[in-house]
Amino acid sequence: MTQAAFFVLTALADQPRHGYGILREVEDLSDGTVQLRVGTLYGVLDRLTADGLIVLDREEVHEGRLRRYYRLTGEGTAALDAEAERMAAGASAAKQRIAEGRRAPGAATRPTTDNPGLAGGLA
Amino acid sequence: MTTLLETRYRSVLRLLPAYYRSAREEEMVEVYLWDVDRDTQDQSRPTLGEVASVAALALRSRLAAAGAPRPYALFGSVVRHFALFAVLLQAAATVADRVLSLTWSSTHGRGQWDMFLSGFTGRGTLGVVAVAQWILPLLWIAGFFALLHERRALARAAVLLAALPSLWPLFGPLVSDVVTADLWFAAATALLAWLPALALCAAYHRDAPPATLPVGTPGLVLTACSVVMGGSLVLLPAMADAAWAPATGFVLGALAWLLLRNRRTDSAGSGGAAALAALGLLLLAVRLAALYLWLGVPVPTAFLGGALVQAGALALLVVVLALVARRDLAPR
Repeated sequence: MTQAAFFVLTALADQPRHGYGILREVEDLSDGTVQLRVGTLYGVLDRLTADGLIVLDREEVHEGRLRRYYRLTGEGTAALDAEAERMAAGASAAKQRIAEGRRAPGAATRPTTDNPGLAGGLA
Repeated sequence: MTTLLETRYRSVLRLLPAYYRSAREEEMVEVYLWDVDRDTQDQSRPTLGEVASVAALALRSRLAAAGAPRPYALFGSVVRHFALFAVLLQAAATVADRVLSLTWSSTHGRGQWDMFLSGFTGRGTLGVVAVAQWILPLLWIAGFFALLHERRALARAAVLLAALPSLWPLFGPLVSDVVTADLWFAAATALLAWLPALALCAAYHRDAPPATLPVGTPGLVLTACSVVMGGSLVLLPAMADAAWAPATGFVLGALAWLLLRNRRTDSAGSGGAAALAALGLLLLAVRLAALYLWLGVPVPTAFLGGALVQAGALALLVVVLALVARRDLAPR
């Protein structure tokens, strides 16, 4: 699952949203690091719809313009849940490795550039 | 009242195919204009990034996006088949050429080997260009395997780099003392390299189905094609020019494809005939351009006869493939 698809599914996890609402929610969820363009958003929405992960919830007309609201399907919720589990497991493994690295003997006294290298040089 | 900004966004959205616009245009315009102050809308324009994202969506929706109507799905299938077959042809031609030139140079005495090396050494910048022209086309092989193993980013990078040397005969004269005498051949060869590379980049997008060969494994098919092309050079050296091996490989490969297609009962092969017809047309252009070089020059009859027979076979195959494609792609 791409990062864009993950954030779009996450944006729809709590309630149906329309296109602009999804863009803003994705930006908030990612602390501004993911800013989808409209063309990209609709490419993702097409793909998620075709995969059966989201569906059209309802349509509204505001000031003569069309708003479509999308929501997660059961399959979409399951896919998002599985992806979140996978990412959490990866993050947990990374944290564990970092902690083990810090506890390893000599971890705090790694050779610096002031010390000779294996070949005895200073490069 | 429609503002200038809305008109501009609608103009950008005209890049999208009609089916997509009718389904999405109003919704997308609403998203674009959501938080733009109406008073400033006449002074604003769509950003380059927004235009680029719509252009990318337009390309994807024309080349079989999810839920695209049949004509677009077929067009995407044709472009993907074209890219796959053409990259296979380029990869096999590269294998045959490099294996034969290395074998010949290394088994015919010191003189031949020195002559082979002299093509790369002692020529300054042109030597670097010669090395790049020898090595970069090997990336067609990497691109072929990467494509069939679903490493699409790698495949895209590999084929774009592999196609680069074909530009040297066209643009080299602008930056060096190199002279290109055979401009038509150089142009046809560049088209044969760049059209497949660009087709691969455009058509094998994220939503596109995986690339699959009609028969065999990637290694087996590439080996078979390389052996056919290399064999055509070894068995008929009197007829060999730059177009001989790829054109022979294509003629035999396309005939094999036509024989095998009747065994397929699914629709996965839709677009294969049209793709092969397009590739055959490109090869015919290369074949004729290679022949054009010898106009007015006395050449052995065997060479001229072989080239003309090959051109005739290519033309006939293109017609047959076009007829098959017409039947395959007809509305149902």
